[in-house]
Formats: sequence, C-alpha cells, structure tokens
Amino acid sequence: MESIFVLTHADESGVALTRASLEAVTAGMELAARLSATLKIGIVAADPQPLSKGLPGAVLAVAGPAFAQPRFASDAAACEALCRAAEASIVLAPGSSRFARVMAAVAHRVGGVIDTHITALGGEAAVEATRWFYRQRIEAVVTRTARPWFLLLDAGTHMACAGEGANATVEIVPVNLPSLRTEVTGIRAPRQDEQTIRPDAKLLFVAGAGWTKKQPDGQMHTDEAGKLIHGFLRLSGASLGSSKSLVDQGGEGHSVLPFLTHLNQIGQTGSTPRHPKGLSTCCHGEEPHVVGWRFIGERRAISLDPNCGWTRGKADVVYIADAFQVMAKVNERLAKS
Amino acid sequence: MSNSLHIVVCAGIVPDPLQTLEPLATPTGPGLKNEMVLPAVLDPWAASALYEAAALAAKNPGSKLWLVALGPKAKLQQVMMTVAQKVAFELVPVDGPIGGFPDAHATAAALSSAIESIAGLDHTKLLLFGGWESASRGAGVTLQLIGERLGIVDQFFGVDEISLREDGSFEVLERVEGGKHQVSKCAGTPAVLGWATGNLAEPRNNPQVGMANMRTIMPALQKAQTAKLDANSLSYVSVNLPRQQRETRVEKNMTPDEIAAELVDWLGKDF
Amino acid sequence: MSEPFDHIETDRQTMEVDIACAGFGPATGGFLTTLTEAWNRNPADPAFESRVTPGMPLQVVCYERADDLAAGVSGVVTRAQGIRASFPALDPAQIPMAAAVKQERIFYLLDPIGASKRSALLRFGDFLLGLGRGRWVKDDAFELPWAPAFLHKHGGLILSIGQFNQWVASQLMASGFVQIWPGMPAAAPIFSGVASAQHRGVTGLRLADQGVDKLGAPADGFMAGMDVHAQLTVVGDGPVGAIGQQLDRHFGLPHGHAHREWALGMKFVIELPEDTPLEAGTVWHTFGFPEPEIFGFLYVHPERLASVGIFVPSWLGNPQRTVYRYLQHYIQHPALWRYLKDGTLRSWGAKSLEESGKHGEPFLTGDGFARIGEGSGSTNMLTGSGVDEAWTTGVELGEAVLDLLRAGLPFSQENLAETYEKRRRASWVEQGALQAQNARNGFHKGFVRGLIGMGLAGLTSGRFSLGAQIPPAPRQIRSTQPGSQADLDLRKATVLALENGRPLHDALMSARGWPEIAYDGRLLVTHQDALLMGGKVQAMPGYADHVVFLDRRHCISCREKTCIAMCSGQAITLGPDSEPVFEREKCVHCGACLWNCPHSPDGERGNIEFHAGSGGLHSGEN
Repeated sequence: MESIFVLTHADESGVALTRASLEAVTAGMELAARLSATLKIGIVAADPQPLSKGLPGAVLAVAGPAFAQPRFASDAAACEALCRAAEASIVLAPGSSRFARVMAAVAHRVGGVIDTHITALGGEAAVEATRWFYRQRIEAVVTRTARPWFLLLDAGTHMACAGEGANATVEIVPVNLPSLRTEVTGIRAPRQDEQTIRPDAKLLFVAGAGWTKKQPDGQMHTDEAGKLIHGFLRLSGASLGSSKSLVDQGGEGHSVLPFLTHLNQIGQTGSTPRHPKGLSTCCHGEEPHVVGWRFIGERRAISLDPNCGWTRGKADVVYIADAFQVMAKVNERLAKS
Repeated sequence: MSNSLHIVVCAGIVPDPLQTLEPLATPTGPGLKNEMVLPAVLDPWAASALYEAAALAAKNPGSKLWLVALGPKAKLQQVMMTVAQKVAFELVPVDGPIGGFPDAHATAAALSSAIESIAGLDHTKLLLFGGWESASRGAGVTLQLIGERLGIVDQFFGVDEISLREDGSFEVLERVEGGKHQVSKCAGTPAVLGWATGNLAEPRNNPQVGMANMRTIMPALQKAQTAKLDANSLSYVSVNLPRQQRETRVEKNMTPDEIAAELVDWLGKDF
Repeated sequence: MSEPFDHIETDRQTMEVDIACAGFGPATGGFLTTLTEAWNRNPADPAFESRVTPGMPLQVVCYERADDLAAGVSGVVTRAQGIRASFPALDPAQIPMAAAVKQERIFYLLDPIGASKRSALLRFGDFLLGLGRGRWVKDDAFELPWAPAFLHKHGGLILSIGQFNQWVASQLMASGFVQIWPGMPAAAPIFSGVASAQHRGVTGLRLADQGVDKLGAPADGFMAGMDVHAQLTVVGDGPVGAIGQQLDRHFGLPHGHAHREWALGMKFVIELPEDTPLEAGTVWHTFGFPEPEIFGFLYVHPERLASVGIFVPSWLGNPQRTVYRYLQHYIQHPALWRYLKDGTLRSWGAKSLEESGKHGEPFLTGDGFARIGEGSGSTNMLTGSGVDEAWTTGVELGEAVLDLLRAGLPFSQENLAETYEKRRRASWVEQGALQAQNARNGFHKGFVRGLIGMGLAGLTSGRFSLGAQIPPAPRQIRSTQPGSQADLDLRKATVLALENGRPLHDALMSARGWPEIAYDGRLLVTHQDALLMGGKVQAMPGYADHVVFLDRRHCISCREKTCIAMCSGQAITLGPDSEPVFEREKCVHCGACLWNCPHSPDGERGNIEFHAGSGGLHSGEN
C-alpha cells in the first residue's frame, strides 16, 4: 500500500505557499484518493504555521530563518528530514527552481529514486508517470517499483488546491543543518516595465528573426519592431518568447531587440512554457523551435511565407501578412479598448 | 595560486538538434531509430558549461579542466573531433549507452566513479560543471546526483554567470521563475554548477587546440572503461511520438486591419 | 583569387606537419586508409618518422569543411573494385546503409504529363513505344531488355557516402595515426616559387579566417586562419573545392583541358512503406523524364531506405534548371510512384558532379602537392561512376607516398610524377577515363544523338565516339531573349510568385505547364521544408560568405537568373534590386552556382566564385 507525501515550499514573500506547491497538493490528493493511500504534506518555510491553513492530511514542516532562503544545503537537509519523518513511498513535489535544485539529492539520501518534469500521473494498480524526452519531442510513461519514488511535477499540470481542508496541526521536524557556506543575497530581475517573461500570462507572444530582417523597402526596422513588440506586451500583458535565431543575433554584432535575452528563448535549447494561447510572429515555425510550444493551447501565427512550418499543422490559424502592419493595427485596437 | 581550480565538466552527447527523432523499442529498452547514424553534438547546455569552464580556467592560472563524457566510444570520438577544436581539456570517456532513456541514477553512479578515478583531482578545488538539464533525458538530476555522491553541499542550477573573487568565494546567478536570477554567494569550492546558457559565445574552431587535445583524447578513448547501467527499477509503459497535427486555417487574403480585429477579438476573451 | 584572404596578416598561427589533406571524401579516405594500413602493420618502420617533428610519428592531418564527417551528400552505387581491394574482408553489414547490389534494371520513362521539352523525333519514338502500353510499356516506362555491360555494377555496393565516410574515418581515427578535423574549411593553398608550365609548387594550406563579416573583414572574435605548412599537400576537396579551384587558376590546366561539363545530382532518402516489395540491393537507372536529358536513379539500402534522385546536366540548355521541383515530378512518375507513394522523406541532399572526366583533369602533381579524387578528373562518365575511382586515386597516391617515404625521397614534382602519376596512368581508373572521355559528346547536340554517342563509345570501349566542341558552362545556358516564349514564361511566373509569395523558379515550372505539387507534408514537401526536415542546413557564425558575385552589373541586367533557379538550398534568392542575394546559413555547398551563371567575365567561368565556407547539410543518411 502506497503512502503519499507532498513537499511544498513558501513563495518569495514567505507568507504563502507557491501556486506550484498547491498544484502538487492537488496531485497528491487525487493520487491518494485513487490509491486509497495515506497523505501527508510537508512544508519548507521559515514560518510554516500560517501556510498550513486548509491543507489536507497531516502536515510536517521545518521552521527557522535558514529555510527562508532557497539554497541547496539547507533545503536538501530540510527535505531529507521531512521525508525521513514522513516515511512515504511516493513523494510528490513541485518542479520549482527551488525543489529542482535539491530533490534528486534528497532522493539519493533516503535511498530513493526520482523522475522529474512529470506532466501527468496515471495508472490503474501501479503509479505511472508521464514525462517528455528529447526536449518535448518524445512522450513516455514510466513506472518504478523502487521506493521511495520522488516525482517532481511540472507547473500548470494540476489545479491549485483551494485550501479547504480542516486546519491541521503542524508537526515541526528538527533538521541537522550542515555548515552553510552559501547565502542567497537577492533576486536580480529586470525593471518592472522591462520584465517580459510572465509565466502567468494568458498569451505567449513569440518574436522570430523576421523582425530584424530587411523589409520590403530594403531596410531593417529594428527600432520600429522593438516599439511594436514592447507596445503589444504592455497593452496585452503577454509573455515574450523568441526563436533561437533571434536571440543569437545579439552575439553577432547585429542590432537586436534590446529587451530580449536567452531567457526568452523558446524551443529545443530554450524553455517550454505553459500558456493557454500563443501568437507567433516573423518566425518560420521550424521543429526545434516548435517543440517549445508543446504546452501552448491555441496557436496562431503571422507569417509572410505561406509555406512556413506553422501552416502545416503546427498552428490553428496562420495569417499570411506583414507582422509590422498587423501588430501596429492590433496595438491601435488594444489601445482604444 | 590560491584560485587554481579543478573543473570537471560532465557532458553527454545528443542527436544534432535538427534531426528528426523517432522512438524505437530495442532489446535493452527504448531507443531512437537510427541512433548511431544520427549526427551527434555535445549536449548544448553542457557545451555552455564547457566554454564557461575553459574561460574560468584561463582566468585562473594553474587550473585544470577535465571533460567527463558517457556514450558509445565511436560516437564520442566523432563528437570530440569538433569539440576538441574549441577549448583545451583532458577527456575522461566512459564507454556506455547513448541516449536519454537509461536511468539517471545509474548514469550518475558511472560518472561519479569516473570522476573519482581522475588522478590528481583535488576535491577541495573542485568545481563540478554540467548542463542544468540535458537535451536527451532532460531531467536535471544527473549532475545533482553526482554532486551528492561526491559529498558536495553547495549546488546551483540554471546558472548563467559565476564571478570568482580573490579570496576564492564566488557569486552565482541562477535562473528562477519569471525570467529572474537568484543571486547567491558561496564561500568557495567545492561546488556543483548546472549551467543554462551562460554568457559566452561558442569558441572558434582552433586547429592548434585540436592537435594539442588529441594527444590525450585518442589514448583516453582507447582506454575508456565500459559502464553497464542498472535500470534501478525504471521501466517504460509506453514511448510515443506525439502526433499533434492541427487543422490549420491559412488566411491569405485578409487585410492587416481585418487580421488585427480578429486577433483582438481572440485575445479579448482573456484580456 | 586568394585576395580576400591575403589582406589579413595579423597574428596568423602557423603549424608544421608532414602531410596536410584538404577535404575528406572517398579519395582522401583511400589515401589515408593506405597510409594507416601500412602504419598499423609496422609502426616502428623508420619511414613513418616525422620529418618536421623528429622523434614523433609522421604528422598527418586532414581538414574537412563539413561540420561532421558523416555529413556527406550522396547515395551511390559503385562497383567497389578499389574499395574492396582496400578492405578484402569487407562486410557491407558493418557500414550503415550499405548493401550488396542484387538487381539492376534500366527504364526509359515516357512523359505522362506532357510538360517536358521533347524533340519531334523523340515524340515520334514515344508514340511508337506508347502503342505497347500494357504490353512492353508498364506504368509509362519501358524496361530495356538488357543493360549494357558498361553500366553494370555487379558485385558492387550501394552506399550512403555519409555513412561510408564516417565508417572509414572512425577506423582511421582509432589508429591515432591521422587526425581528421571536421568544421575546418581550407581556404587557400600556400604557393611556393613562381609557377611555370614546368614547375608547380605548394607548401601547405591556409585555413579559413573565423570571426569575420560577410565580406571577410575582421569582426568580433577574429581569428586569422592558420597556415599549415606541409611537406606534402594532398588536394582531395572535390570538384568545387576551394583549393583545387585555386590550383587550376594559378597553374592553369593541361593543354586542351577544361571544366566545362557538369551535373547537379539531387536526391531524396525515402523510407519505403512497410510492405514494399523492393529488396535491399535493388538498382534502377532511368532516363527520359522529367526531361529527356535528366537521368535518374533508385537505389535500395537496407531497412527499407531508398535513395532516389536525378542528375541535371549543364547541357540542359534551359536557364530555369529547377532541380528540386524536377525531382518532385520524377518521384511521381507512375513507375516510381507505385513504390514510393506511401513512403516518408527522411533526408535530402545535392552535389555538383564534375562530368568533364579526363577532359577536366588538372596537373596531378607538383612540388609538395598531389591531386586525387573527383577534382582530379577521375570520374568515369560512361559508367557514371566516381566513388570507386576517387578512392582508387587516393590509394595510388598512398602507395606512392609510402614508396617515397621508404626511399627517403622528397615529395617533389618529379618524384610524385614518377610514383603517383605513373601508377595512375597504368591503372584501371585511367583506362576507364580514356574510354569514357568522349562518351557524352553527342548530348550537346540533342538527347537522341547523345544516346547514340554514348552507346557507340560504350559498346566499343571508347574506340569510336562522336566529335564535339563543348562550350564553356556559361555558354551552355540558353540566353533569354526579350519577347521569347521563355521570357513570357518568366513574366507569367513573376506574377505567380508575387501573388503567392512563392520562389520564382518554382512558379516558373508551373508557368511552363508542370502541374502543381500536391504537398502531403510527408514525402511531397516544399523546398524550404526539405531543408528543415531532411537537409538540416546549418552554418557556424563568423565566416565570410563563400558565394561571391564578381561583377554586380551582370547580375542586375541578368534575365536568366539561373543561379537562383539552380540553387539547391534556396540560399540564393532574388533581392529587392533584382540582384541575387546569398544567405550563407542556407547553403548546402552543392556548388551549382559555380557553373550556373550564363555571364562570363573571361569567356570560360561564370560571374560567381565559390570559396571555402563552413557549414552545410547536417544529415548522416546521405
């Protein structure tokens, strides 16, 4: 009989669990119900008590200022202590940067195994986990008999738990901290108005290399492209993605959109974000890029090339048009509304 | 030299990103169709780690750089002919299976024992580098497991920058959610750094670097130990190529204004 | 022509080696295999002591432009006479995609569409043949009852040159004796002394500059290409290789020789349907469709893979030589489509073939250099065979070099002539080249005459052939006269291209009556898609453009734009000022632009130069 333990952690503010943590709780509840398994929740936070409100099952937590910082040494020790206390056979956790940094090491410490980037949990008698290989090109369902089995869940694969359970008492688990040689000194983020990566946005807007290519007048219009894209992001609240060829131009002495970095890159060697909708502009829709759209719901594209990759079953709608003209009109309309 | 570093870069080989991939059942588990025929490259994020490591080694005289790679010997040899022209390193090859389907725990065990067998490696000076995820398994756990096996308790993932100070401490920028970087200060080596893109361009091919590297690479390949990887109870229920073919509507004759109206309407449901 | 490289003289590294090779293909494979075999037998042989680094073994390096040694571009059928001599225990199963030849058939394909350009004589012949539909003509194809002996490849091999190269290279590298560096284009030979008809000298290779802009000027991360000084420079960089071309220009060609006959080979690698009746080892040769002048082939590799392709020759006078579109029509010919229609495109590639054969042979040797392979005129145009010949010329040079090393003699022009050239003249490669040298003469005066000429030369082992004055490649392209049918077609196509955003040459085929291609996203895909799905074209940043338009005035006034039509990778497109624009990142290095410009500044060569460049196809299945 399986026993399930869901590990969660506080967000940057320290006063709430992250959304991804609450999604993992939902996954834990669903799995526990399906397998008739016991469910426990673990919290890593400086002050876990207020965070436990409404969580289902027994709650174990670590507490103390050391756990305010997402840091390998303290987080690994905390998760190890919680897992040893919980003695569960299945450990679920959000695949956040904080837990992705430590959870394989934790699994190793407690003699377990781990699989990450889980997008679905299924199986009848046994637990089966879905994940992708080769940068979202091949989908596989895996299972293991070894226990404990750690599964890191991709964000956005479950609903966030609304926290409607009875208030549980929190059992604080002591942690043997090693000497801490690392200190988190802060977060470096672009200025608010320059922040273009918005994981919660409804729309992913992708800019391709066409924005910096010569236009029909024989000239490049990089400044205009920058203004149009920036204007659209401001008006729509969309998250900005880019093709590799566009972000790579930065290194080749070309003028390139100033607010784009490799962090914006979508695809084979970039990210695979989750958004309900995606709009591609000036991008050919090559497979290495489109694999990064694996988790984008409705897809539309604006391209001058009627034979571009998007037209061949990769997008729902493709407009054969000049993105400069279309986005100018889109911005006009959005500004009015 | 107080800051002479021993940098070990773990880097696998993966199919050239432009190749068409198709899964295939083999007697030893899932694999890729024509896996040995597909041109291979050094895993892109691990390649960033290698270039960053070389730059760091160059800035800190007395440093040493090893590249630990697991893969079929013949395939490693091919990839090394390109990689060896980029930066100077000593190769520690492990002859083993190719691809992303073998278990990460077993891979980590094979790689950590290869690292432990490196003669002259000083663990107190060790920076263990690699990609934060591979382009094959893409799990982001192998490097961490190696670090854990080597007893390193300062680990960083999604690293885009390291700044080493005179006193041996360093600052690291790690990618976190929302397009931000977390800034950490670490007292010094040993540490594990799983790299994202970093900030360096791919170095030029330099024939002299290649010639120098080959003096050690070919003998190392000839002596490569073979690793058999345990499945650690991992089994595959299914392995599929998704067929997400959409019914695409191609609009060729709409004016920019008509398209804009339709797009705003489409977006409007959410904004 | 080394001007673009000569003006950069800062911080150029130099290196001394014993033997430097330019290009890794079958010829260099044969050369290095011969040396390595001898070294493996007796590494202690003093002949293998380095002259430049005493105490070390011979320093042998090879520089290859492609990013991967498997990135070859050809599926071939070869008699493998020379290859088998090098590997007596060769088992095709060791080499991916290799199969022994089992069955050879030759088909004449009728035109079921009616769009090809056929002479009245040929149309009459087609009409007569067509009377036999259902009897001797099946699927619009007539199978020749017998295949002439000169075309037979019995006992031969079907190979993927990419996989064969990789197989050879891995064996060579494993010995540790030679080093083969991919992704490293050799830009220019380093000449020694003053060239004359009697004396030719080369002292090494200059590698391509990196970190330069499109024009070759230093930019971010500039690294001047290294000068590799060598006792012997082996030039095996193929018919469009930068080193071979510059040697030809610097030393000239032997009297009466010229590079005038060319063809572009383009092919698909197709995964055949699971129930295919075609066995590995099947070889088909075809002619007659999509144009009478276009020869085609189908070779079946193991594991249901087939190489299917066509050769578009320079003597197809039409300036709109759109090979990709022709290939799509070719595979849809009923005789092939029956087997291919449920297949899937796996890969794609293209390559220029030097079809001058013996007439294109350059000076084979000089002080410190020797030429091998296709660029040395070894291809046999009668048997349509080049790989085995190229390999064998490499073996012959390898044996010659071993002789000279053992005798302690320098690699002088005289010594190389006495050893390598002498071997070559006495070999089957030379006999074949002599028999084949005039075999294709007739084609310049029409297809039927060409077949007669080829048959005559083939059946008499070259004793009889048709005479011909072969014009330079630019003059083989018919010029487009204002108001002519070709000009009208061109205008019609321009409208089509503007309306649909299609490539001009593709629209031109439609304007000439070829039916539209019904794309299925699997086997029939757009040219751009083939680049992405099968061709996988890439280029490292930081190299100069390797396709250079010499006199832009010719380009602006050019009506034919053959370079655009013929470009295998759509890397040359029509720019806003009616000038061709080159995109390095899309080039597959087929070299077609080199011989597909109708405007010649010197009466012999076109207005386009093809230099050393990096990148190209990233496909191992070719």
